[in-house]
Parts: sequence; structure tokens; C-alpha cells
Amino acid sequence: MALEPKALGPLAIRQDAPAPKKKKIKTTKVVNGIDTEVEIEVDDVESIAWPERSKLRVLNTDIPRVDGPDKVSGAARYTHDVRLPGMVYARLLVSPMPRARVANLDVEAAKKVKGVVHVLVIKGTESGFLGDPIAAVSAETLDAADDGIRALAAKFEALPWTADHETGMKPGAPSVGKSGTVSKAATDGDEAQARAALEGSAFRVKATYQVPIQHHACLETHGVVVDYRGGSEATVYCSTQYAHGFAANAAEELGLPANAVTGIVEHMGGGFGAKFGLDKQGQVACQISRELKRPVHLMLGRREEFLMAGNRSGGIQTIEAGCTADGRMTSFVIDAFKHGGLQAGSLSAMPYCYKPETHFRSVRSVRMHLDASRAMRAPGSPQASFGMESILDELAYAAGIDLVQFRKMNLPEQAAWQHQLDRVAQEIGWADHPHKTKPGTARGSECIGIGFGVSAWGGGGSDDCEVEVRIERDGSVTTACGVQDLGTGTRTYMAAITAEEFGLPVAAVTAKLGNSKLGQGVGSGGSVTTASLAPAVKDAAWNARTAFAAHLSSVMNLQADGFRFEPEGILHSGAKSPTMMTWKKACGTLPAEGLRAQGKWVESLQARGVNCTQAAKVSVDPGTGRVRVLHMVCMQAVGLPLNRLALKSQIQGGMIQALGYAISEGRVIDPVLGIQLNASFEDYKMPHSLEIPRMTTIIDDEDMRGVIGVGEPPAIPGASAIANAVHNACGARVRELPLTPDKVLMALGKVV
Amino acid sequence: MADGADRIPSGDEAADLSRRRFLRGAGGVAAGGVIGPALLGAGGRATAESQAAAPAAPASAPPVAEELGGDVAIELAINGQTRKLTVETRTTLLDALRTRIEPPLTGTKSVCERGNCGACTVLVDGEPHYSCLQLACDVRGRAITTIEGLGTPSELSVLQQEFVTHDGAMCGFCTPGFVVAITACLKKDPKASEADIRGACAGNLCRCGTQPQIFEAALAAGRRMAGGKG
Repeated sequence: MALEPKALGPLAIRQDAPAPKKKKIKTTKVVNGIDTEVEIEVDDVESIAWPERSKLRVLNTDIPRVDGPDKVSGAARYTHDVRLPGMVYARLLVSPMPRARVANLDVEAAKKVKGVVHVLVIKGTESGFLGDPIAAVSAETLDAADDGIRALAAKFEALPWTADHETGMKPGAPSVGKSGTVSKAATDGDEAQARAALEGSAFRVKATYQVPIQHHACLETHGVVVDYRGGSEATVYCSTQYAHGFAANAAEELGLPANAVTGIVEHMGGGFGAKFGLDKQGQVACQISRELKRPVHLMLGRREEFLMAGNRSGGIQTIEAGCTADGRMTSFVIDAFKHGGLQAGSLSAMPYCYKPETHFRSVRSVRMHLDASRAMRAPGSPQASFGMESILDELAYAAGIDLVQFRKMNLPEQAAWQHQLDRVAQEIGWADHPHKTKPGTARGSECIGIGFGVSAWGGGGSDDCEVEVRIERDGSVTTACGVQDLGTGTRTYMAAITAEEFGLPVAAVTAKLGNSKLGQGVGSGGSVTTASLAPAVKDAAWNARTAFAAHLSSVMNLQADGFRFEPEGILHSGAKSPTMMTWKKACGTLPAEGLRAQGKWVESLQARGVNCTQAAKVSVDPGTGRVRVLHMVCMQAVGLPLNRLALKSQIQGGMIQALGYAISEGRVIDPVLGIQLNASFEDYKMPHSLEIPRMTTIIDDEDMRGVIGVGEPPAIPGASAIANAVHNACGARVRELPLTPDKVLMALGKVV
Repeated sequence: MADGADRIPSGDEAADLSRRRFLRGAGGVAAGGVIGPALLGAGGRATAESQAAAPAAPASAPPVAEELGGDVAIELAINGQTRKLTVETRTTLLDALRTRIEPPLTGTKSVCERGNCGACTVLVDGEPHYSCLQLACDVRGRAITTIEGLGTPSELSVLQQEFVTHDGAMCGFCTPGFVVAITACLKKDPKASEADIRGACAGNLCRCGTQPQIFEAALAAGRRMAGGKG
């Protein structure tokens, strides 16, 4: 083995290194062709930790995502894109009413349609919610499957339903399941004390706020492709946030042992909390595939996606709050209802973030015959934020106190929100804004207003990821975990963390994920992925580097702790002269099977608890009621930023989802007809390119902690800030999202 | 759409079509609403020949009310290649690309299937079109460019490179539609302003909220193209 020692410049010659301690690590070795886990002793020169930020070469910079070229060229394959020999396309017929008896379903007629190969009745008697899957038709083409659905000539007879709050609140409302419509109240706090504090407050306000049901509106609908052609094995492709979370269920549906089914999610077109598990459509596809012994492609149509694939629950909150003359909140009393369809819905604990001296909370759910709400990016928090920030503003105006000062006074003194509020206020131009203690008036056509909001989230990880790093003899490197990449940049930071460890460019590392046969990966819900996965990747890479150093030590007869892995190559500082060899050459000394190391979660590499603060500037036309959001500012604590580019994208993405929640999004149900009036992208309006405001994202670099998940907090306070800004602009206090022109005009008293 | 001059089938295509009863799928035709006189005129060989002879005046050819329908073998010019495929008269260009070509071109995404979201945008003779609102039969003889025709992962177009650099894709499902729409915009005017670019992709939806990065990418690409570095 020809190693070429090279003289080195000043790069890191560690003199007088003390004799290293030893520690044992586990690594995999191939012995007689068999993978064997062995424990090896390596120098324990330092305990695992992220390098100082100033020493990071790859991490904490802007890293273009590694799958970017595939995504921008159409080469990235999503579940929707899977094409297999003999594959049939399935479509669902769903209940067009919240509750109905299935009066006609002409299965035989559907079977006779040209191209139709299978008709499955899922629910032939009675539907339980609007969008309840009734039947599935599979055919050689999508059009033929649609023909088959039409040929079913489905007829439904309405049964009494509950599809709105008012109906649900009436005694004897059509029951959802067996437990009626209104749940028992979940309470918190001492009501008598909170009410007494209200009485004693210098200023009091009371108002009722309402939030709509927001749709996840993932561009890739929910769905699966089940590749089962008879035989003993199957592969199931699923658009999901949890690659390890559906294969076992699919196996059950297919009548196969769990180890015979591989779950794959190479790329997925948006989840935002709605995509966990096999789901009904997945079960149905498995059943069809099992019967046909052919691959089945079952992706929901857009209408079905709106009706049956979950949403962010809505709700109504009646809040009373009081404060002292100098602005300290004395009391917060809330009576809230959640609208989660068949489910309870979600609402984060209120008071949200702020700390009044006393509080009392009562929360009930009004259940309806609508699809069950699901987790959606910071479940329960945008709802809580809207009520909280709105009443807070109303109280601050009542007391005549600067909106920023009022917030700071009622947030914990040590919280990051304090300096974040100062910073976002500066960025949004608060100092020069004329309406700090009372709102502007509705004059002219461009009333400018500013609003604020804060949020918090955990974002910590758990011991749910197993990562393997492999170094091949030719120098190629793989870092692998079964986990999925939702578009958050998981692949990229897996490669980047590994590259950082070895002194390699990101492109030198291949990240493999999205396969249930790879190591366990955590489900991506609640911003847990990064704080669970990144430490495990770091651990695996660290172990690989340590094992590699031990190997080189024996090959080169140099002390293992003297090796350093730098972009220039592998250096050694312990010998008489520093040595250097290229990565490729060093790898060439490895045995044929290369080197593998495993990594598990390391708690000390991550942290939890994130604060985020946002401000919004809007322009309101009091003549038309139209709201234009001009500028949104976000400052967020993120711990160690792995990839500043992806981080900014994700924060801005959350803000844009909040923008939609603020100005235009919301499910509209006609409770009498029992239909959703906006179950399409034509009528359910998400923000588009002409509505995107100027955006400022500030990463809170004072936060020196380890890795923390960041996806949820930026989606929370934006809508509240925008609503407050609309009021601040012209005095239109709209207490119901979204802030459509009609509601703004009503709040101005121009329309009744 | 009434002027079918730019959609005239070639002589061979028209002859081929003449053997099909083309309007059987009347529902599909009505739904698409885009079968113009050129197609209707392709009902007989004589008509086809007269069209081939006088392509500039297709509307003058008398429509032949022969019933057309069922499977139709057609050729489409996709990404500079002639692709033979079998479609139904009602088959959209989107479905043709994704499910009727081997290997399929799945970079063009199916999201709303009704012209609301822009994810299926392709170029037809250089102009952006929602492929879910185009019938495959109707774009014979026209140059179709899909996302795959703009660049490959190893040879990205300037705009695609800038999308990567500026992080213009998160989940990536809407990305091909944005890339195609903005490609058309920058081809017309590399100096397009941010307002122009916003307008060019106003018909494209993105749920991850990548728009700010997309605008940056488009402006950067425009600068490179205008500077001749593209």
C-alpha cells in the first residue's frame, strides 16, 4: 500500500497530545461473507459534539438540496408517477352527502364498462361523512375508471346530518356516532379566581373569534401504488410522512408476512401532517391488488382529497381578558369549541404563550358528519394564536399601550420573544408607524397597518432513527436511513452532516432514504425528524470516522487520534511530520467490503423548545375591503442551522401557509345541502404568486443549542399578525378568518 | 381556438385519422371544447390531401360529420422526438404524457385535472399550456416541450440551475410547472421584471411556499440569459 506522506502547512499539528483514553464502539464487519457486528476499541479523544459554529465548513451554510436537480427536471419519482407492468388505475366514489343511505349502486353495469377490471363496494349501505369512500373502480386507464364510477349510477338518500356548529349545538342534533355532537368540556384553571380577577381589572375586553377549517392541500394527493402480482412479496409506494408506518399494515391487507412487504417513498409531494399510515385508500388498493394480482395505482382525485383526507380543525372561541392600568394581564377566560368533523379537533393550550396572572379554560368539541381533522403543521396552534393575539391587541388598545410593549410585558422575561419582538418591530418599521396605541381610520384607499404574533414549539427528537454510514473501497460514501424527505431537505442534511465529518464535499456523499427496509426512521410529524435523525447521522458518521482512523492507524502505524479529515485530505499530526493522503487513497486501504458504522440518537446533539416571532404589514382598501399583505417578518430560534438555505425556505413556506389562512383559505360547507362549496383549487384559494409579500426571515443566531426541528412555529403566528395589522390599519376588527373583503367591510360597518 | 391553422395534421396523420371514427367520444370532445375545424376536416382522405395541399386555409375545408371515436393511433412531437402512441379522442395531453407513452413522461404533474393549479404546464409551440386542458389529438403537429425536454439532472437549463441554487423546490411537486411557465416567460424576455415573473406563474400553485425563492431563481436566470452566459 503506497501511502504518500506529504508535508503540510500550518494545518493543525497537535503537539504534546496526551495519551488518548480508549472507548468501545460497535461497527459492522463482514466475516466470512457474513455481516457481523463487532465491538472495536478506539481512542476516546473527544466526546461527540457538533463543531463550533465558526469551524463548520458545510453545515450552517446555504446548501443547495441534493435532490434539487431531480426535482427541477421532472426526474424525481413520486408515488403518483410509479408505472408498473400490468398496473390498473383505481378511482373512488365518495359520499356526496354528510350522511346518506346508499340507494343504488349498479356494480354490474360498472363491470361491463370497457376497460374496467374490478369494482369494489367499500360501503354499500350507509355513509358516515361527506366524502366517505363508497366504492372503488379499477380499470386499464384513468378515464375508464371514471367511466366505471359514472356507470355505478350511485344514488343516495339523505339521512339527517350535522354539518355546522349551530346544528350541532341544538338539542337532539343528528348524532355523530353514539355520543351526540357536543363533547364534555375539558377545563383548566380556577374559574372563580379568574372571574374575580376580571372584575378587578382596570381594562376588560370580551370577544368571540372564529377560525375556519383549513385544508392541507398537498399538491400530491394521498395515495398508494401497490405492487403485488401474486407470489410471496410486495412493494408498496405511498405518499406518506412515515416510511416505516404503512408496510406492516399493507402486509396485513395483502395477507403477507410483514417482512415480505417493502414500503417506498422516494419523494413525496407535501404532507403537512395529513399523511400518516396506509389510510382507507391504501387498504382498498391492497384489497384490489390482492384480488387482481396486479399492481394498483390509487391516488385520490382532488375533490376526494378535499373531502376525505383530513384538515386543520376550525373552531369558535369566546374570550374575556383583563389587564391592569399599566398593562399586565390579570385574567384570561375562554370558552372554546373545536370543529374537527368526526374527530375532536385540536386547540393548543390557551392562554397561548402569554402569561396572564389567572386563567380559566373550557374547551368542547362539536362533532359533525365531516371527515376527521388531522394533524396540520403545528396542530391546534394557529387557532390558539388567533384568539390569543387578537384579544391581546384589543386589550392593549383598550389600555392605550404600545402593542409591542404590551406583548413584552406579558411574555416571560427571559424568553427569546423579548429580543425577537424588538428585532421584528425594527424590520417592519414599527418605530415610524403612526398607529402604535390606537388603530388608524378608514380613510383613503391604502390604509397601512402593522400586527404582531408569537409562537412556540418543541421540535426535539427521540430515539427513533437508525443510520448506517458506509465507506467503500473506491471512496464512495453512503449514509442511509429509512426515513422520508417531505421536501424539508432531509436527504441534503444527511449528506451534509456526513460530508462535514469526513472533510468531503456534499456531492461526495449519497444519502439513501424512503425505504422501510433501511434502518428505522421516525415519522415526520411535529417537527421531530431533524432532531431525531441529524444526531443519529452525526453519530454514524462519527463512528465511521473513528473506525476509519483506527483502521488507518493500524495500516500506517500512526496514532489513531492524530488523524484529521479535512477537505485537503486526511492529515496526521502525531508523526514527526504531518502526513496527508487523499480520501480516495485512504479508502483504498480498506478491505474489499469497505467500512460500515451505525449511528443512534444522541440526546446531547439536539435540543427542544423554539420561539418564533412575526410581524406583518398590510394595506387595506376600506372601499373594497381588500387586504394586501405587503411585508412579513419572521425571527425564529432554530438551534444549530444545518442548512440555512432550506431553513429559510421552510420558514417562509410556513409564513405563506399562514398568509393563506389569514386572507383566503377555509372550507365552505353548505349545511343544508350538505356539500362543500369549494372542494377544488378553483374555489379553495391558496396564496398565489401575485399575493406573496416581501418576506424577511431572520434566523436567531443567538441560539447556540444543538439541532431543533423548525417546521411548525413559522406557520403559527402569521395569520394573527395579519389580522391584527388589518385592524391596526383601519379599525376593522375582523374576528373570523379568513379576512375576505366582505368581512372587512362588515367590520367597518359598510355592509350588514 | 377557432383558428386551427397551427394544428393542421400532416398528410400522413390526417390519412391515418381518416380511418377512425373520430367523434364517437362526443362527450370527451365537448368537454375539451378544442376540436377545431382542422380536425373535423380530417374526416376523409380527399379532405386530408386538400389540407396538405393548402395548409393555410383549413377552415375552408368542409367539415365531414363522420363519427370518430375509440382508440386513435397518433404521433406527437414531444421534446424534439416523434412519439407514436394510442389515445382516445378524449385523452388529455396530460394523461397521454403520463400514462400512454413508454417510457412515460411523469415530470409533468397531475394535481387538479381542471386547469386550476399549473402543475401540468407544458410548452406547445413555445407557449405555456395546461396539458390537462388540451386533448392529445389536438396537439398533433405542434411542438410539445415537457419539463424533461428542458434539461436533465446532469444537464440542467440555466433556469433549472438557478432553481437549485436558490432552493426553488421543496417537496418539488409543483416545480416542473413553475419551471416550464417561467421558461416561456424568460424566452420572450430574459429581462423580465419580478412583476413579469410573478404574472407568468400566477397560474401555478405551490403549497410549500417556495414562491419567494422561485422569483429569485427566475431573476437570476434572466440575468444570466440576458448576459449571454446561459
